[in-house]
Amino acid sequence: MSFEAASPRRAASTGAFSRIASAYGQELIILAAIVLLFAVVGTIAPRFTSQTNLTSIFVGNAYIAVAAIGMSMVIISGHIDVSVGSLIGVLATISGTLAVAGYPVWIAWLVPIVVGMAITSIIGVLVAYVRIPSIVVTLGMLSILKGGLISATGGAWITNLPPDYLIAQFRLLGVPSPVWFMAILTIAAAIWMRSTAFGRSIYAVGGNPEAARVAGIRVEATTVSIFAIHGMFAGIAAVLFATQLQVIQSTVPPNLELTIITASVVGGVSILGGTGTVIGSTLAAILFAAIGSSLIFLNVSAYWLRSVQGLLILATVLADMARRHRIS
Amino acid sequence: MLKKTLLLAACFGLVSGAALAQSTWTGGDELPTNPLACDGTPGAVVSKDYDGGVPTNAPDRAGKKITVVDIPKLIGVGYFAATTKGIQEAATELGNVDAKTDGPTKANIDEQITFIDNYITSGVDGILFAANDPVAIAPVLKKALAAGINVVGYDANATPDARQWFVNQAEFNGIAKSLIDSMAKEAGEDASFAIVTSTFTTPNQARWIAEMAAYAAKCHPNMKWLETVEAQEDNVLSFNQASTLINKYGDQLKGIFGMTSVATPAAAEAVTQANQCGKIAIVGLATPNAMKPYVEKDCVKSVVLWNPVDLGYAAMQVLRATADGTLKPGATSVKAGKLGELKVVNGSEILLGSPFVFDKSNIGQFDF
Repeated sequence: MSFEAASPRRAASTGAFSRIASAYGQELIILAAIVLLFAVVGTIAPRFTSQTNLTSIFVGNAYIAVAAIGMSMVIISGHIDVSVGSLIGVLATISGTLAVAGYPVWIAWLVPIVVGMAITSIIGVLVAYVRIPSIVVTLGMLSILKGGLISATGGAWITNLPPDYLIAQFRLLGVPSPVWFMAILTIAAAIWMRSTAFGRSIYAVGGNPEAARVAGIRVEATTVSIFAIHGMFAGIAAVLFATQLQVIQSTVPPNLELTIITASVVGGVSILGGTGTVIGSTLAAILFAAIGSSLIFLNVSAYWLRSVQGLLILATVLADMARRHRIS
Repeated sequence: MLKKTLLLAACFGLVSGAALAQSTWTGGDELPTNPLACDGTPGAVVSKDYDGGVPTNAPDRAGKKITVVDIPKLIGVGYFAATTKGIQEAATELGNVDAKTDGPTKANIDEQITFIDNYITSGVDGILFAANDPVAIAPVLKKALAAGINVVGYDANATPDARQWFVNQAEFNGIAKSLIDSMAKEAGEDASFAIVTSTFTTPNQARWIAEMAAYAAKCHPNMKWLETVEAQEDNVLSFNQASTLINKYGDQLKGIFGMTSVATPAAAEAVTQANQCGKIAIVGLATPNAMKPYVEKDCVKSVVLWNPVDLGYAAMQVLRATADGTLKPGATSVKAGKLGELKVVNGSEILLGSPFVFDKSNIGQFDF
């Protein structure tokens, strides 16, 4: 049952439209919600859809979408990582510290990705081989990273970042680089997850680990690899996060892990594992960013963003439950 | 289902949006305000009985050489390095004080208590402190008072009866006046502006915003408040919120207030990245180091805070006056060397004076 979303060919033979609709139902709903939001808010406040505001929405939140790609893979495989916000805070600080210390910028960009992969690989080993539930491992990791960061930096900000380090402020063909990162990584990950054996094994491991094992998938090794890939995306997200402004705060961004997990879940990734796509999580990240911006345009307190996010999570999980109930 | 939820949320948003559009500034608190005079006349002091502590059997220290230890929240950071500098300046000027600074390398109340305890045992005449926790520090300070030591706080207070005096770096209405005056000067008397704060309920920020609204209504009635947005104390969120404000109001927006040391540089960054330097004024509370890039590029003209060197200087002067017996409970002012006469407010607090405005001419001298 868990393979429906991943393999649209099995869905039905009733025509292309319903095939796409059944395979990408959640993604289409999110896309429709984004279009609707832009249409409604854009009518009330025309500046909402101005190019500068669209740029703000996409650029300011691209790192969340990038981190949600890795998070989606982890959740599809039946696990979760609540430490990702702290991890991004730590990796951003490492990256900025290297840049200020005078290392070449490519080192400052690459090291956080490698360190991110190393840390999430440790999480993966503890989850897959030692068999500690991922929520427990990552809760522990959250405290370690958060406490370690505050102790190491004393809360001091990193300033005087060299201009050629600020990759998130680069533009290619007039489009800011975070948008390129978000789009290319999402599409690449989506294709990779659908069309490679390893990509499909993520769904298999999350849908039914025993069946996956019988089918010849090395479940433990796959789990560790999934966490490592998640660490890579967290590293890229951290670099985008660190280079967005001219200072790095050296603290853990509040509630970042919740925002990332919410993007994955609302984007259609089943919290029970086995289904979902990264296109959905990226669209959901864009939707949240757009809602956040629209609240200012509509003079609504930012607290509503939390409430709306919460509503969306409940609605999505309920819909997921209902769908599973219907199928079984 | 999801679509319906969204529609519902959007409708709800619209309704509450209309309801929120009211005249007072969002993000301020409901407490009574006390705006200062427009021209800089000091505010009236509400008299209140002395509520500080008294040392037990303190020896007569008038005019005698005293040893003083300063135990700030932590050492090794620019801010407290600046207060230490002020303390040393005052000690040198006074000539009869042997002052040194010592303390934890992390802002940790337990370590701070240990340091104070050790200095009580080793025997000093005076203790200066900036408390990591107002309540937790009280017992050890009371122990110092009981040992006849003069105790004066600065920067971060303890419960009043645990120390003799506290040097208060800035009052809410003073900060509010400084912020609004700076904005009026830079963006114009009829400027429309927005505020980026931490949350609507953060006590200090809410107090400042309420005082700003009161002072603006009194002294700059044509300035127009547009809205207040929340950004927690998050750098990137502050930047996004400030960018959205710029996108929303376009040319109408002439200024942004940053109410936290996180929001102010982030708002400056948003204005810089939107190429609006010179068109949108940024005024706010911030530390000099975070603001230097923007001040040096002329994107930000005034950063409001207090001068920590003066704060340390005043604390040392107050401690000396206390030891000499020239500053007694019930006094209404105290002489503080080059800073002149400082007012006693709120029972046992000494007000440093008007906030300090960092600008291009002086920001380079500060490192915190």
